[in-house]
Amino acid sequence: MLDKNRIRLMAKMAKYEKSQAAEDLKISSYYKKDYASLNTLITAIWVTVGYALLAGLIIISNIDALMKNLTIAKFIIVVSIAVGIYIVLLVVYCVYAGSFYKSKHNRAKQRVKRYYRSLSRLGKMYVKEKK
Amino acid sequence: MSTLLVWKEQLQKIYARFSIYIVKALQFILGLCVFGLINSNIGFMKAASSILCTLGLSAVCAFLPPIVMAVAATILILLHFYALSAPIALVSLAIFLIMYIFYFRFTPRKAWLILLTPVAFAFKVPFVIPVAFGLLGTPVYVVPAAFGTIVYYVLHYVKSSASALKGGGTSGMAESLMAFAKQSLTNREMWIMVLAVTVGLLLVYAVRTRSVNHAWKIGSAAGSIAAIVIGAVGNVTLNVHLSYGALVFGGLFAFAAGLVLEFLFFSVNYSSTERMRFEDDEYYYYVKAVPKIVVSAPEVSVKHINASQPKGAPAMPKARGREENVDHAEAADDILLTRSLTKELGLGKLDDK
Repeated sequence: MLDKNRIRLMAKMAKYEKSQAAEDLKISSYYKKDYASLNTLITAIWVTVGYALLAGLIIISNIDALMKNLTIAKFIIVVSIAVGIYIVLLVVYCVYAGSFYKSKHNRAKQRVKRYYRSLSRLGKMYVKEKK
Repeated sequence: MSTLLVWKEQLQKIYARFSIYIVKALQFILGLCVFGLINSNIGFMKAASSILCTLGLSAVCAFLPPIVMAVAATILILLHFYALSAPIALVSLAIFLIMYIFYFRFTPRKAWLILLTPVAFAFKVPFVIPVAFGLLGTPVYVVPAAFGTIVYYVLHYVKSSASALKGGGTSGMAESLMAFAKQSLTNREMWIMVLAVTVGLLLVYAVRTRSVNHAWKIGSAAGSIAAIVIGAVGNVTLNVHLSYGALVFGGLFAFAAGLVLEFLFFSVNYSSTERMRFEDDEYYYYVKAVPKIVVSAPEVSVKHINASQPKGAPAMPKARGREENVDHAEAADDILLTRSLTKELGLGKLDDK
């Protein structure tokens, strides 16, 4: 005899297992703070690489204008502006990444909790059927 | 109008029934557009620009997540650029990496949106993007729209000056690296279009989220007009060469696309709008309720009347009749189970993902 409630539950769980379960289980194996810190650090490294690439492109495309009448004072000003922009960008991205990954961890944890609850419900249904 | 609504309802039913195949077919068509446009415009590497490669990549990407198509398109572009000149491939790689680092790391599932923008530009209807993204998306969609515009103009520049960019010796390579980087970043037409797309999208989004009547229509019109005006102002002030005819046609097409999207995703009956006011201990609430237009598609049932059956034909045996009754009951049960499963699992909303 088919149990409609069990089929519903199993279909819901199968859909979750197929789409998000693997990533969610990996995320929820971390503590929230650890997960957010690790990913913020990775973001900081990537932002540094991205900024270096962007700065490199801008320097290459404007090399004539930069090299024209280059003095030490002008050089220091340009470098300090570049470093200032980098620091602002880094702070903005790190703050955003921190909150982004914290909320991602929260959502993953909730989904995993719901999945485990469904698993235990399914187990109870089987036990009930055997009796 | 009611006929159109019935068609829409039937379309929804067909989509619900064959959504797996329809999504794969759409992915395949998008792949054909993307890879076909890349190969036909910048097909510098002969092996990668064949029709077989286009078809093969489209077929493979149709069965993989949409992000794979974005990655495959990026790799194909880089291969073609590398065949033309190594410095161009290097600068393009840097541009793509910057896009990945600053945005797509956070939303890899929306990366495929970047593919739609160059396709719209290639079909000469760029303003469809701000209108469509503004109506169906969020302000964050500005980023893929802007990056898509940059990618299109980089490809366009390489296509139009391929012979000049072809590298010679080491000094030639360095020169082409600088020239390409400069042209890619200081293309005034590109920045005008980035501005037009960005402002248009934000305007469409801002208007369509208001509670005014016909917000979607007003938003589409406002976004299209803003994009046309920015293009025209850029033409005059920065001396770029955007065709006014193309701008106006693009704007009109975008507005028409907005109307189609409104019909498909937001059909409401403004004439039956209700306004309510109520209160609790802390607030007064002013509520405007606009009913949706719901038309149920007529069910076509074919009734077979057997005219040739003789009058004195024996009556159907009772046992058979009971069996049919049981079948009907089981079929009804199955349909109810399927419906409730579809509703619970939200299978109708799969296209959001």
